[in-house]
Amino acid sequence: MKPGNGSRLFVASILCAASVCIIIASIASGPRFLNPFSMDVETCRTLLAIRLPRTAVALLMGGALGASGAILQGIFRNPLADPYILGISSGASLAASFGLMFGISLFTLSVPILAFCGAIATGAAVVLLGRGWNGLQPERLLLAGVGIGFFLSALLLLVMTLSVDDGLKRALLWMSGDLSMVDWELLPVGLCFILTGLALALSRRQGLNALTLGDDIAHSLGFNPTRERFFLFIAASLMTAAAVSMGGVVGFIGLVVPHVVRRHVGSDASVVLPLSVVAGGTLLCLADAVGRTVAAPLELPAGVIAALIGSPYFIFLLGQKKGA
Amino acid sequence: MNTLEFQKVTFSYSSRSFLDQLSFSLAAGELVGLMGPNGAGKSTILKLAAGLLSPQKGDVMVGDKAIGTYSGKERAKQIAYLPQTLDLQAPFRVGELVRMGEYPHEGGQAISVDEALHIVGLHHKVHKFLAELSGGERRRAYIAMTLVQGAKVLLLDEPLASLDIKYQFDLFHLLKEIAREKGVSVLMSLHDIGMGAILDRLLLAKDGRLVTQGEPALVLTDEIVQDTYDLNGSISTYMRTSRTFCRTLAVAGA
Repeated sequence: MKPGNGSRLFVASILCAASVCIIIASIASGPRFLNPFSMDVETCRTLLAIRLPRTAVALLMGGALGASGAILQGIFRNPLADPYILGISSGASLAASFGLMFGISLFTLSVPILAFCGAIATGAAVVLLGRGWNGLQPERLLLAGVGIGFFLSALLLLVMTLSVDDGLKRALLWMSGDLSMVDWELLPVGLCFILTGLALALSRRQGLNALTLGDDIAHSLGFNPTRERFFLFIAASLMTAAAVSMGGVVGFIGLVVPHVVRRHVGSDASVVLPLSVVAGGTLLCLADAVGRTVAAPLELPAGVIAALIGSPYFIFLLGQKKGA
Repeated sequence: MNTLEFQKVTFSYSSRSFLDQLSFSLAAGELVGLMGPNGAGKSTILKLAAGLLSPQKGDVMVGDKAIGTYSGKERAKQIAYLPQTLDLQAPFRVGELVRMGEYPHEGGQAISVDEALHIVGLHHKVHKFLAELSGGERRRAYIAMTLVQGAKVLLLDEPLASLDIKYQFDLFHLLKEIAREKGVSVLMSLHDIGMGAILDRLLLAKDGRLVTQGEPALVLTDEIVQDTYDLNGSISTYMRTSRTFCRTLAVAGA
């Protein structure tokens, strides 16, 4: 007996259908409308070189952020936890912005690789500082993340004040989610890390559910809370690092998407994780499509549009009477 | 047969010895209370029994093995622990929570989710969120989870705290039924002398050692309670009234 299986299936179906529609709309929309069902050579070239990789990265980034948020809110038992509260994004931003502003562009992937290294190094530092006398403790991890995040943000501001103008503009775009530089080269590594992180998280979904009830209950159910928290933290860090390295810092999705998903399907991680991937990816894809279309040729940052689209719906949901 | 046994267990949080050479055991199907003043070591005893803490000396035996030698899943099939502060606002539905008891099993658990929900009387609330239940019902939902888990020993840290008298007796009857029908040994810490008087056996702790243990009538005497809790003045009227009150309600509800 599984409660609410029918309604979960219904929500998942609606979400997937909406996702497919938005993907098609995203591919078609932009400064120039492309009809994906009627192509000439020029359309095909634009599609393959720009629209498809951009849509794919938006889907991957949003999905990774949605799943990371769901993991972090569970392991910290804190509804405000998101991929950025742990300082991982600050580390990625600092490293990437450093590269952008000081013109470190040895090859195409320099900036994403710098971002990825920054994210992983920050995640490792947070884990080291988050260790208490009896393993990884959620409060210590959270405090370490917030502390390191503030420190790195301060460093970032310092670096920005010292930067050249063009680099500064690109760094600012990066910090608000910049998908305009995306191409196919970014995808394989990002996809690899996101799939690894997601697979790791799904393999630990029962531990994630148990940790949501507290460490003592998780232990009573046969889990080692420190080990589960460590693996899940690694999974979230991998996905966040990949997301930031592909398109910069996009807030909101990691914080809000898991809450919205839980409102509809309950909190079982085996359902919440995959649906957060789909919902996060779809929202960012939609936000990016809107951002590059409404004020074309000017591009609005996807993170800003995601927050503008998602916040009213989230506030509407909060206004509804519901148990969770 | 003993399901849980403390064999000269010594434990300290720092250099100071906190529990000293503690020995007691639980038999299958027993409903045992752990009483004593604040700071007596009740929660520490329960955490040692659950394997959350490890003794510096002595052994905590569960079944025929020391608890530290079990794998996580095997331990979970033997012993379940519900802490004093349950996350009563956990964002799960009742059914989702109770199904978590299946985790230690690769299928084939002794009690199904449906059966556990019927035992605790929440079968009609399977789709409700925990936050939509009363405090007593939420505790019942967690106990249903431990039933699915199939634990032979159930450790409860002050399960009656913050429940009104009706829910206290509801929970008492549920625990008694689980002990009698399923052979589960229940060890619960509590403060209420009246409730303690209707359990099978009591352990009375003070300053990290057991003052005495046995049938409630032999443990909860005026003298022992006065000494253990450092009470001055006569408490005989209070003791008599609370014991009589709880015994009457326990019989009426049985």
